[in-house]
Amino acid sequence: MTGRVAVGHWVLLCYRLPREPSTPRITVWRKLKRLGVVQLSDGMVALPADARTREQLEWIADEILQVGGEASIWLAEPATAGQERDLARRMATARAEEYATITAEARALTGDASPRERRRLADKLRAELRRIDRRDYFPPPDRDVAQAAVRALHEADAPGSTDAGDSTVDEEALP
Amino acid sequence: MNWATRRGVHIDRAACAWLIRRFVDPDARFCFVADPADVPADATAFDMRGVDLGHHGGDCSFETILRRRDLADPVLWRLAEIVHEADLDDERYDAPEARGLDVVLRGLSMVCDDERVLELTGPIFDGLYEYHHRAMLLGREPA
Repeated sequence: MTGRVAVGHWVLLCYRLPREPSTPRITVWRKLKRLGVVQLSDGMVALPADARTREQLEWIADEILQVGGEASIWLAEPATAGQERDLARRMATARAEEYATITAEARALTGDASPRERRRLADKLRAELRRIDRRDYFPPPDRDVAQAAVRALHEADAPGSTDAGDSTVDEEALP
Repeated sequence: MNWATRRGVHIDRAACAWLIRRFVDPDARFCFVADPADVPADATAFDMRGVDLGHHGGDCSFETILRRRDLADPVLWRLAEIVHEADLDDERYDAPEARGLDVVLRGLSMVCDDERVLELTGPIFDGLYEYHHRAMLLGREPA
């Protein structure tokens, strides 16, 4: 989409949760992290606005209200492009670190790992990549690197694999 | 009966509308509003902030309707897992269909208005229901 890096619309969640009990605080924070929010200040987080991000923050706002907190949702535009670039950079940096972890994990697998181990790690990392991808609004170059590293795990597995039969055995065995 | 939900229908609202029409109110009429304040007085709102038939305790609206209307059909609860994952993607359930279904719905919402999305998704949910109904009877994936 155009406008992803020009000054765009952002959706902000402004909230306050009671200090105790701590469980809702943790639940809410986990959900926000999963969405990839950028924190603007204490109790204020932002995401680039689209139908999906807005809806997701709205449901979290409701959840905060239900546990006795305060929450409001705002649509905002940064006053300057520089301000927005700064937010985008912070988000991209946060995602880049996550991608780098994936790359490191994929490359850490030694050559003598069995095809089964390789496949298991590839599946796990692919799922993790998808999670990161969903909260990645300003993809950094590290994304391509991580994707390539995970793909390499799968490809190493493909030709002449000794892991054959994993998916066919069950059907054959049936009467 | 009249029912109201937010404009820009996606997976949860499309599934709720299907559920309402098939299992709650065969004569259901739907309207789509931009703001909760625009819900007509005679309409029951769903999948909107601050209404009873919305997200509660980690449930999506489809699950909430099943609970509120005491719909215990296990096939509907299997569909609820798919809708939940397509909508919330929080990995509470194992529902590999969810990702594809979410993409189909998001794509549809780009090329159709809300009425049309409901028209097109009706048979899709009928089919999903039938598929999982047969799967449950057979104890495995149907042909």
